[in-house]
This record gives sequence, structure tokens and C-alpha cells, in this order.
Amino acid sequence: MLTGMTAKEVAKMVKNKEDLFILDVRNQSDYQDWKIEGEKVSSINVPYFDLLDGVEGVLKQLPTDNKLLVVCAKEGSSKFVAEQLVEAGLQDVSYLEGGMKSWSEHLEQVLVYADEQLKVYQYLRMGKGCLSYMVISGEEALVVDPSRFTDVYMEAAKQEGAKITHIVDSHLHADHISGGKTLADQTGAAYYMMKSEGAVFDFMPFEEHDRIRFAHVDLRVLAVKTPGHTPGSVSFFVNDKLLFSGDTIFVGGLGRPDLGGKVQEWAKDLYDTVYEKIAAMADDVIVLPGHYANLDQEVNAAGYVGAELGAIRAGNELMNQQDKQAFVDQVVANAQTETPPNFEEIIAINRGVDVASPERQQELEIGPNRCALHHTH
Amino acid sequence: MTSNKFLDAKGLACPMPIVRTKKAMNEMEANQVLEIHVTDKGFKNDLTAWTKSTGNELVKAEEEGDVLKFWIKKGE
Repeated sequence: MLTGMTAKEVAKMVKNKEDLFILDVRNQSDYQDWKIEGEKVSSINVPYFDLLDGVEGVLKQLPTDNKLLVVCAKEGSSKFVAEQLVEAGLQDVSYLEGGMKSWSEHLEQVLVYADEQLKVYQYLRMGKGCLSYMVISGEEALVVDPSRFTDVYMEAAKQEGAKITHIVDSHLHADHISGGKTLADQTGAAYYMMKSEGAVFDFMPFEEHDRIRFAHVDLRVLAVKTPGHTPGSVSFFVNDKLLFSGDTIFVGGLGRPDLGGKVQEWAKDLYDTVYEKIAAMADDVIVLPGHYANLDQEVNAAGYVGAELGAIRAGNELMNQQDKQAFVDQVVANAQTETPPNFEEIIAINRGVDVASPERQQELEIGPNRCALHHTH
Repeated sequence: MTSNKFLDAKGLACPMPIVRTKKAMNEMEANQVLEIHVTDKGFKNDLTAWTKSTGNELVKAEEEGDVLKFWIKKGE
């Protein structure tokens, strides 16, 4: 029988490490660029246009005992192929509803932290490797690095009986379109980011607001303010317990140098952040990054992407007693040259210099997230 | 560019543009050119890959507003 599977259902299977076999029928270059991945996910790629005359050729490559999911860019071709597979006698066949487009857009909400004063949710965007957060305290909520699916945060805040009053972007994103401005317009919340990132609309600059306090939340902005340089990324330290590290520290290592060609300066700023600010933090601080590269390696037992600072420090030689020049040299050597797809247009939109229709935004965001593909270990 | 046959696949979603292209090419002779108009943006990569795997040749591509135009030459 042929059934549709939603991106949400696929996300559950990936997170729960359930066996899933995927027949990806997009063209080879799209498949090589990015695909659905997971510890128990295996996939093969046979373009749908090689299956127009029948699916006999591919049958022997498909499992008969596992759930089979057929995936394409939007949906049409996967349905077309899946129908033929059912006719050929396969039992448990599904197609991905909305295709890789919907996979790219799905946000999975996970509870990260809760005490009497504070609750924190992480939003995993598995199709992109991007993470965003909501911090709820009393009747207010703060959103960190929102994606453009602003209704998800508004709905979640409503469920918690809170109103979104603060929105922070850790940096000007190059790999996805920020929902910050839209969410601020929709909720009336204050929207903060670094002035030096060059946004042209009204917002609250971190240069003038390096501390945000509401209800039981005390958020401090950790930024290296070097005039004339493009700062890579700021981090947010909440209640001396939670470090929203943006693009500075990942579970797997340190951030990658920025895309502006100022790798040296960026690496020096990163050194100062790591050695002057983060070095002073306790080992049990929970690090919550803006990206991940490998979900299976970076997700913890509680089901969210994050780790204690002590564990990250222990596993990362760059963060331990390094000479500044050696650190910079190593970060520069590890700099990656591949840029996220359409990053120039995405940056222009996030600065408010350019405007794009929802369809255009969807197209610009499709594809791999190269911000997180390679961490600097 | 002159073409021997024209396929209007505007408004059609994947996989139909490729299905129609294949059908049209089946009815053509070697070295003849098929002109295709589509609005499905994903078609470009798919057509490029398809022509390669089938021994046909994508000779020209143009964009006019929302319409993507392609000319493909049938292989020997």
C-alpha cells in the first residue's frame, strides 16, 4: 500500500534511530549535494527519469523487509515511482510528502532545559543543520536565531502562555533566511543583532545592549568588538548556565571562519572569545550551538544537540592552552572555501537590502548547509 | 535557433516535463532538435542529467521571465 510520510515522521525516525531505507529519485548532483541522513538511514540514488519505462531494474537493490521511502525534490516524481513499486509488488512503500522542500523546512521541537524559572526549547532543522531556540520565563519568551517559520515560535510561545518579547540573532546568517525581522514585526518584540553586520532596518544593536533582562532571565552578550572587522558571531550566556554559542563553538569543535575573506581577523577574534571569555566558564555550562554537522554524533542522550562545555573543551585541543599564533594558523588552515548555496542573496535579504517572495526564499534555502559541514577541530 | 519540434510543458510539475520530453524525443530522428518550454525550475538540472545519461545533447538554454527554454538535439 502506498502512503505519504511527512517530514515530521521522517524526523522522528531519524531521531529514534529507526531503520529506514530511502530511494532518492532526484538527479545525481542534487543527491550528492545533500540528502536525508541518519545512523539507521540508508539510501540509494536512482533518478526518476531512469525509471520512466519501469522499475524492474531497481527492484533487486531495494529491501523487502524494511520500510521504503521514496524521495524527490517536491513530491511528484517520488509518488510516480512509488506507485510503480507498489504495482511491482512491494509492500511497505511511502513517498515523502512535499519532498526535500518540506524536509528542508521542518522544525523539530525538543526540550533542552527546565527549572522553576526557566524553560528552553531547541528547534532542530534537520534538513539544514540549523538550530534555533526559545527561552521562556514567566510570561515572556526570547527567541535565538529564528528561522523564517515564525508561526512555529509563536505557536510554541502560546502553548506556554508566554509572549515573545525579545529576539536575538547571533550573527548575520549566510546559510538560511532569518525570521528575526518578520517575527519582530508580528509580535512587537525587540530585535537585536550586531550593528556591524550591516542590517538596514531598525533593530537594537548589541553594541549598545549587551545585557538583556526579563522575568528570571539574565542574558549577557559575548562579543569581541573589533572596529573595522566583521565579527564572526556573538554568543549569549544565560543565567551563567546556558551558552547559546551561535557560530563560535559547536559540539564537534570551533566555528568556521567567516565568509568575508577576513579569515585571519576572524580567527583572532575567535581566539579572544575562547581564551578570555569562554575559558572562565564552568565545565557544567550547557553549550547550545547554532549549527550541527552530524546529528548522530552531536545529539545527546536527552535528544537535543548540545553538550557540557567541559566535555567540548576536553575533546578539542584548539581550546586548550594554545599560543595565539598557533591557534590562528590552525584555524586558517582549516578554513573551508565552499560557501553555502546562494549565500550572497541570503545575506542581502537578512540585511534587509533585498526582499524575496516566500517561493524565492524557499528556493534560495534549498540545498546543503555548508556553514556546518566542516568544523574546525 | 531552429527546432524540428516544439513541446510546451509550462505549468507541468515534475515528473511530467521529462515524461513528455522523452515521449517527444522517441518520435524524432537523430540530430533533430526539440524546443521545450517549462516553468518548473527543477527541470534544468534534471534535463541536464537526463540528456547526459541518454546520449542526447542539451545545446541551448534560455530564461525569459518565469519560462525556461531548452533546445536538445537527439543523439545518433
